[in-house]
Amino acid sequence: MDINFAFGGLVAARLLLSFVPLPDQLKYDHLLSSPLTSNLRLHEGIYLFKNGVDPYSGGVFYQSPLYLSIFSTLLPLNRVSSPIIWTLIDAVSAYALVQTWRARSGVGKSNRDALLAAVYLFNPYLFLPSLAFSTSSISNMLHLLSIMFAARRKTSPALFCLAALVHVSLSSTLLVLPVIILLLGQPKSSLANPKPISIDFEKGRMIGLEFLAHFAVLTLTSTFISGGFQWLWQTWFVELSLPDLTPNPGLWWYFFTEMFDHFRPFFLVAFSVHLLIYIAPVCIKFQYDPLYAAFILTGVLGTVKAYPTLSDPGLFFTMISLFPEILPYLRYPIVTSLIHLHASLLLPLFNHLWLSQGTGNANFFYASTLVFGVANGAALMDCVWAGLRIALGETKEGYEVVQQ
Amino acid sequence: MLCVLLAAWAAYANPGVESEHFEEDLVIRPLKDGRIGTRFSFTTTLEDVSPRNPESLDGDDDSQHYTLFPLTLGQILREYAITELHLSLNAGKWNYDTWGMPDEPGVATGGELWAWIADGASTSVDQRWQGLRNALAGLFCASLGAMDEQRTTSPSRTFRPEGSLPDWGHPHHLRHAFLPSEHVCTENLTPFYKLLPCKSFSGIATLLNPHRLFDADWHGMSIHVLWKEGVGIQVRLTFQAVLDPIRNSWNKKRDWSLKSLFGRRIEQSCPISSASQIRVSIPEDQPHLFTPQPSGVDGSYAVFNVSGGEWLFTDVEMRWHNETSFQNRFTDPRTATGKQNSVSALSVQRTLKSVNKYRGSLNVAVTNNRGDDIQTTYLETIPWFVQLFLHTLRIECNGTRRGDLLDDTTYTPPIPHSRPTLYQSTLTVPAGSTVYMTMDVTKAFLRYTEHPPDAQRGWDLPPAVFVPIKAGQKGSDELERIYTPILLVDLATPDFSMPYNVIIMSSTLITFIFGSVFNLLTRKFIVTKVEGNHKTDETGQLESASAGGKD
Repeated sequence: MDINFAFGGLVAARLLLSFVPLPDQLKYDHLLSSPLTSNLRLHEGIYLFKNGVDPYSGGVFYQSPLYLSIFSTLLPLNRVSSPIIWTLIDAVSAYALVQTWRARSGVGKSNRDALLAAVYLFNPYLFLPSLAFSTSSISNMLHLLSIMFAARRKTSPALFCLAALVHVSLSSTLLVLPVIILLLGQPKSSLANPKPISIDFEKGRMIGLEFLAHFAVLTLTSTFISGGFQWLWQTWFVELSLPDLTPNPGLWWYFFTEMFDHFRPFFLVAFSVHLLIYIAPVCIKFQYDPLYAAFILTGVLGTVKAYPTLSDPGLFFTMISLFPEILPYLRYPIVTSLIHLHASLLLPLFNHLWLSQGTGNANFFYASTLVFGVANGAALMDCVWAGLRIALGETKEGYEVVQQ
Repeated sequence: MLCVLLAAWAAYANPGVESEHFEEDLVIRPLKDGRIGTRFSFTTTLEDVSPRNPESLDGDDDSQHYTLFPLTLGQILREYAITELHLSLNAGKWNYDTWGMPDEPGVATGGELWAWIADGASTSVDQRWQGLRNALAGLFCASLGAMDEQRTTSPSRTFRPEGSLPDWGHPHHLRHAFLPSEHVCTENLTPFYKLLPCKSFSGIATLLNPHRLFDADWHGMSIHVLWKEGVGIQVRLTFQAVLDPIRNSWNKKRDWSLKSLFGRRIEQSCPISSASQIRVSIPEDQPHLFTPQPSGVDGSYAVFNVSGGEWLFTDVEMRWHNETSFQNRFTDPRTATGKQNSVSALSVQRTLKSVNKYRGSLNVAVTNNRGDDIQTTYLETIPWFVQLFLHTLRIECNGTRRGDLLDDTTYTPPIPHSRPTLYQSTLTVPAGSTVYMTMDVTKAFLRYTEHPPDAQRGWDLPPAVFVPIKAGQKGSDELERIYTPILLVDLATPDFSMPYNVIIMSSTLITFIFGSVFNLLTRKFIVTKVEGNHKTDETGQLESASAGGKD
């Protein structure tokens, strides 16, 4: 089947899906959009921005000033434009995923392209947030675009997308190092034959400086748009200080709801720094395959970042399709899938029982987020295992691979 | 000659003595539904004195000598250099449609405190506002200390100064807070007595009988301090109550006397009050009889003097002699045709519809009962845990969307765990029609330490306030504030017994993931021979490969 035709068909189907009249409830769903990605708050921010009230003067709007300027001028949001814009965002993401696959596998068009596009466009963890017009779709697009450009050695576009990604979602800082290494190295799969790489530090420094330049430009533009530095506190600092404790499928919200007040700052620092600890070991261990390092760090983000939605782990699961070589080496894929299935049924059910039905309490939903955390953690650990295990190849009868 | 000398000496020796005088007043209004509205007012005026200039706060205050002015209140006012102060503590819902406008406009359910405070001191306005709250909380035995920054706003379009503001070269700021869950009770009335020169022993204050006042359908007390240029500082202590004579009458008649309403008579007058009178509103076109005969008529009020030589009676009685029993036309289903009966220009209904525990919609219906358009300011001061979404605001009138009816909006967004929302706008209500406003709201999730002890009860939301700008046909009394009833919002609660469990379980999961990932990343992968179920390490190590390729 022609890939263009298949891709067009998939996007058309996705567009059709977004025009299906869906209940408004979707926009309020805690699993699909967090306060940092909520479409409702985006509309409120745009409304305030247009009416001369600083959206960053209170705790209403936690998203980037870039969204304010884009969606209030270039792409006005309404009932017709929103489904089209969000479908296009998803289409671009799927395209980026396909292009990344082509760069990694070194082949041109293949039958796998349509599969990859479908895996992105029809992953329920990804298209449901997109139907809720959550801006997490936009960060996913930037995420995949920066990886795609890096894999195709387009330095400036890759760094720009990366800077924009970090700008709209601060915790994506985790991806900066693997993307830079990817720009210095190569996207082909080297998991099976690991060898240390030599890094051109001079070039790396130039790339790092260019990233900082892009980032500074975006920061200054945002400051210019919002007319002050207040937005810094209402966007980036929110991810660190967690003022809004709206439930989400992640691990932070209930922890900090139940936290003793005098320990709150300590644990906020501990949780934020904890994310950064993963960068160095993952990038050192997978230096020969930086794309895989970026994939593992995506998994870390989906599991333990502040304000996650379903689309964060969803991106991780979709990205598994870029690495078909690891699939035979996964230890317990069925167990992970089953825990995931379990969690994805429990999450909406217990959210409904607690907040709408009133027959369950907060612990029910908290328990389901723990199960979801276990599922994400299990998938992450299994992918780390498989990525390392693959280097040892097939074992003979009577032998098995263990860690010393 | 000696007298003149003595008088001159006295005037010389005491140049700072201000003249003070005290007036008391009781207004009784028979209301349309048979109830009796009463308003006690005790006014002490400190003549030719101005409020303390905040610039002088750093130095010692001038010594204050009061004979009638309440010292404890005066000390608080000078300590924090408060220019104007209004405190009210009420219980119940003021029914504007049947009772009309109250004699004292501050009828918000629960506590309400607002003050105009000038800048210019070394301590900030907010610090002095906090000090004022805490001092008044101590003085009136009310939890006014809870009116912290989470409830304080500055709605200067709705709350104008009632007196004058002195010009010290620094701007005056308004601080306002509602505390809807605060209720008035006897422990607040006792400190109230203490501020009166005659306490509750004589004069009109004798009638302040807590057993009857707190049994009333609506009751509330308020304290107003204001400065009027050329007059001085005025402290007005008021108590309002809506009593129901029919409830206690065996034949359902609305006849009343002071004894039947308050359980007491005025046995003696307050000797130091310069004016003391009971004024009873004279009902139009209804035959009635006063005993004793009023000492005078002032407009639509019959006046009974309770002071000095004219003191001739101990009780006042009013009878509707043609009425065998009272027919309440407000509850009679044949005549009650809704708002057409309303004696108020505007009728406001405000509800919070909840879809679930995290979102809902705020609905306000404003009805104009007059024949011409009414412009009114609309004020919402909602604590941060209920978040308004202004872009979802819909205004409908007569079945069509009318965004043009709302104008001149000022909005201060809330800050989580801190500042409340402040929303002020001007609404035009067309003649004889109802304007419906709907806005989506989301409800926040609080930290477990932020919930009150009875968290499942919910939170009281403060009333909205409407101030008609251009009144209908009636006079200036229509320019008063209209408070809507308070709302109850049901917030989602976490489990309060779980902090340790949650910390332990979440931490365990994160540590487990962290530990496992680092275990995988740091330890070397080897291939070992499996013999049966036992692994032999030393002989079986055929090949060893480092996945990381570093060592």
